Parts: sequence; C-alpha cells; structure tokens
Amino acid sequence: MRRARARAAVKLALAAAATVALSLTVWACGGTIGGIANNPVEVAESNGPPEGDVTISNWPGYIQPNEGGEPGTISQFEKATGIKVDYIEDVNDNNEFFGKMRPLLEQGESGGRSIFVVTDWMAKEMYDFHFLQEIEPSSIPEVFKNLVPNLKNPKFDPGRKFSIPWQTGMTGIWVDESKAPEIKSVNDLFDPKYKGKVTMLQEMRDTVPLVMKAEGVDFEEATDEDWLKAIEKIEDAAASGQIRRFTGNDYTEELTAGNIVAAIGWSGDASIVANPDAEWIMPEQGCVIWSDNMVIPIGAPNVGAAFAFMDFVYEPEVAAGLTEYITYISPVKGVQELVPKELADDPLVFPSPEFQKSCSIQGSPPDPETVSKAWANVVAG
Amino acid sequence: MSWSKRLVPYWLLGPGIVWLVLFFVVPMYFMGEIALRSGTPIEGFTFTWEWSNFPDALSGNTEQIFRSLYYAGVATILALAIGYPLAYAIVFRGGRFRLLLLFAVIAPFFTTYLIRTIAWKTILSDSSPVVDVLEVFSLAPGDGRVLATSGAVIAGLTYNFLPFMILPLYASLERLDGRLIEAAKDLYSNSFTAFRKVTLPLTAPGIVAGVLLTFIPAFGDYLNAQLLGGPQQQMVGNVIQLLFLNQRDYPEAAALSFLMMALIMIIVFVYIRFAGIGAFMGDEDPEEKT
Repeated sequence: MRRARARAAVKLALAAAATVALSLTVWACGGTIGGIANNPVEVAESNGPPEGDVTISNWPGYIQPNEGGEPGTISQFEKATGIKVDYIEDVNDNNEFFGKMRPLLEQGESGGRSIFVVTDWMAKEMYDFHFLQEIEPSSIPEVFKNLVPNLKNPKFDPGRKFSIPWQTGMTGIWVDESKAPEIKSVNDLFDPKYKGKVTMLQEMRDTVPLVMKAEGVDFEEATDEDWLKAIEKIEDAAASGQIRRFTGNDYTEELTAGNIVAAIGWSGDASIVANPDAEWIMPEQGCVIWSDNMVIPIGAPNVGAAFAFMDFVYEPEVAAGLTEYITYISPVKGVQELVPKELADDPLVFPSPEFQKSCSIQGSPPDPETVSKAWANVVAG
Repeated sequence: MSWSKRLVPYWLLGPGIVWLVLFFVVPMYFMGEIALRSGTPIEGFTFTWEWSNFPDALSGNTEQIFRSLYYAGVATILALAIGYPLAYAIVFRGGRFRLLLLFAVIAPFFTTYLIRTIAWKTILSDSSPVVDVLEVFSLAPGDGRVLATSGAVIAGLTYNFLPFMILPLYASLERLDGRLIEAAKDLYSNSFTAFRKVTLPLTAPGIVAGVLLTFIPAFGDYLNAQLLGGPQQQMVGNVIQLLFLNQRDYPEAAALSFLMMALIMIIVFVYIRFAGIGAFMGDEDPEEKT
C-alpha cells in the first residue's frame, strides 16, 4: 500500500515533468528567435500633458552633471517641467546595448525606457527591426526649429522620422604629443616603432573606415572587399602585437595611464582624457563623422515626457550648457554664440566645413553580416 | 518506519531538485534548442535541427578553446602552489590570528570582482613602479609591459580565484589531526615523508575541491582577458560574449556554450576518476573500506 502510494507519487511527478517538457518543446520550437518584429511601425503619440516619471538611457559622461551648486541638464529639466527623470548611463557599446535590449524589444517592451541614445547606424538597424516609433515634427516643434540644416536629411533617415541627433562627433586619432609627435596619419599607427603602444576602437564602423581611408579607398564607394582588406591589415597588426587592445571608451584610461602613445578615438573626449599631452588630431586622410541620436523605442511608457525632453535639450541655452561640459558638436543652432569664446573657437567643437573636408559620414559595409563576422574574429584574436 | 517518514529524504531533496530543474535543466534545454536553429539575425532563427552549428562553433574557435584550457590550467596550478602553503601556514602557524588571517583572505571579496580587476590595470600600468621593478629583473613579459600579455591574464585569473582554492584547503587542513603527524614522526619518518604520507592524502579532498572550484570558473572567465589581455589573449568566454551580444549569432553562441560545458564535464569526470571518487566525496580514508 505504502509502496503503491510512493510509486504513484513518482509517476505523477514524472508525468508532470513530461508535460512541462512537451509544452516547452511545442512553445519554443514553434517560434522564431530574432528577425524583424511582427508589429507595424507606429507613430509615437503623447498621452496627455508631459508629467510623471521618465527613464532615459544614454552613454556615460554624456550630459551636464550638477556641479558646484549649478544644476545640470537633468535637474534643469525636472525643475522646468515637474517630470522626474531616471537617467541611466547603460549604453557602452551600440551592439552590446542592442544585444541586451533585443529580448525585451521583441516582447514590445523597452525595460521602462522612453528614450535611448544610439549611433546613426544602430538607430537605423533598430528602426528596420520595427523596434522604434516614428516621431511627427509637430510633436517636437523646438527640435525641428533649432536643428542645424546639415543634419536635417541624413541618408539613413531623410526628414528625421525616427532619430533626433543628441551630439555629433568625429573619429580620428588621439596622440600623446610628448611621446609620438610624428603621428599624423592612421598609417603611422602601423609603424613598428609603436608596437604595443596603440589601441583601436572595437567599433567596426569607426576603426575600419579610417584604415580604409588611409589606404586611399574612396569610402563612399567602398565594397565589401575594401572592408575585408582593411580588416586583414588590422588583423595582421593585432597578431604581431602592434595593436595593444581593441577598446570602447576606455582608451581614455589607457592614454591617461600613459600605456599607449596613440589611439583611434573620438573628438569630444578631451574632458575625460586626463593627460595634458594627449590631443585629438584630424588624420591626414580625414575623419569619420557620426551622430548619436535620441530614439523612442516601442513600449516606451512615457512618450509625452520623451517629447518634452527632446524639445528641452534643443533650447539653445540648455544645449550650450551641454556643449560646455561634454565638448562634442552640438546639433542645435545658435549654440556657438552662447558658449565662452575659447570653446567657440575650438575646431573640434565647432568644426568648419574646411576642417572636415576630407571626412566621411559613418556608414555600414554593403554586406554587414559577413564583414562584421570577419571583424569579430579579429577582435577575439 | 511509516511511509511518510520514508519520504522525508525525498522532501529534503525537493528544494535542491526544483532548483536544479529550474536553473539548470530548463536553461540547458533552451540552450540546446537554440543551438539547433538556423537563420540570420535579420530573418531570425528557426528550429531546423541544424547539427552543423556544433562543428562550426568548434572549428572557428579552437585557438581560444586551447588558450582557455592553458590559462585556466596554469592559473589553477599557481593557485594551488600559493594556496596550499598559505592555508597550511594559517592553520598550523596562525595561532590566535587564525580567523583574522582567514578573514584577510576573504576580505577582498567585499569589493566587486570588476573593481578589483580594474585596480590591477592601474597597479600594472606601463609606467607604474611595479612594472619598473619587474623590468629591472627582466620579469616583464612583453616589451617592458605587463598588461595585454598572457602573463597578465593568468595572474588576474590566479588572483581572482585564489580564495576558491584556499577555503577548501583550509577546511581540510583544519580537520587534520596533528597527532597523526606526530605519530608518523615517532615511526621515524622525516618531515617530508610525514607530509607526503599523512598530510597530503588526508587533505586530498580539499585539493580536489579547490582545483575544481578554481579551474571551472577560470576556464569560462572573460573579464580578465578583456581587461588585462589584448587581442591575442582572448578566451572562449570572450568569443561567446561577442557571438551573443555583438554578432547576435545565437545558435553558434549556444552551440559553443554547450560544447564548452560538455568539455568541462569530461575533464571533471576524468579528473575525479583519476583523483579517486573517495577523495572527491570527502571520504577521508578510502582504504579503510576495502
């Protein structure tokens, strides 16, 4: 009798386990993981006046903080609108951020976030996957009034349907002038003299185009072969120990610590490179220009507040405060007149067309999948 | 014994089994299922019994797999070489400071793993005094630097997993009956023979446990290689991370994870077989039973 009961219990447990396993099989095997979302792309709509809480995801060190009793961007916004902001700096790498967000976005959720800040090509990729909402110009009048003309119709988003520029920057070379003043071109980074003293960005769309341009490739017309050839050159340099590391933002620490003499890096990072000898230089063969953009993901819980925030940072005074602190290129008209003269004359913050004449707008290879696979093999040794 | 009493052991096993099923069996199932999908990040991945993911995952990454085995192996041996004498000294020479010393071993754990590893970047930066001194003795592995070399990654792994080696060693050394060593000496063994014939066999369970607890996480680690290594020091963990987050090639990432788990299991089984199941289970005197 007891035996029978125990056996029945075991049987029941087995049956339950089998049912669970079977239903998991049916549920999991039916679906597709990844791929373009089924939902249609929708236009973002505000639900009533802007209020409540809003969560914003941005890159580290990319906003004016509260300092010396002066309120930073977020505090100013909270005071002006009464909206409470949860500002999180959890974007360190476009790919990684997308990799982390993707499972949520596939469920139509954004993890409570109403704004992401991502780079042009990533914004386009998210949009193509139907993970972003479109934005009507009438929802954010201040933005469309103050956006600089040359950013109004980028190739990846003509008319700015889903991406609103946050800051623009240039990818070039950071050089420790006390140790390697001769470095002028990306080709110099391959000089054996600097073996193990050079870093490059892990971001393929920053590093590879610079190497291609240094090789004399016309970037606008670059083929997959051009990309792969440049990747091969970088691979050889990595294998020989020429390239010390592939970095994210942390190249600034390597420069500060004096571990390297030069790095491929971004123009606006002067505020975080604590090495007075380090300087951003325009590579002889030109730089890569990109923008980071505010986007509204699907499932954004507070679209109204997101609109209010976008409009707010496009007020010239607010934008000037941002520029003074983060020293990237502002997409807002009238900022140059509002910042101290020293900054207004800085060609890295207010570059002239002449300064940028040989630069290219950042872009993807014709076949991103194959090329990025080759790139991943280089980064992972 | 009533039947309800007889079921008590099963009830006690319950939480453990639920835990294992929820956090091991179910995830394993999903991982295996994803590993057999095919497709592209744009089209999505559908289940097609794509067995070729497994050989693909293996063939493209053999270098990193062998590198991981090598790094984890060296780090484990170093941790044992450092950990055993340290645990021994704490137990037999620590006196009233025993607990304090043990606490000192664990204390770094109050800071997160990430911060501790980043701190090593500062300590070992190219122009740091530490590296200058190492250079004088020609001990800096790469052209006058320590960072971005295999040595730095192995050192990082050894440092980060050392407590996992020391704690089980401490536990088994502490249980060691000092009179047995005295007895060995009474029977005319010298210190070395006493150590080899008494101390070492009796602390074997601690060694086996310490080696496993160090080797397994060190093999799968990616942070040390990422922060302290360069492009030529990337481990299999870095590859899986890149595949999953960067390439979004979920099937290959899952297949590779699966294979690595299988590899670790085989290594562990062979190792336990070799070290003796008694030692693994903490059977202090396996000979007694035979």
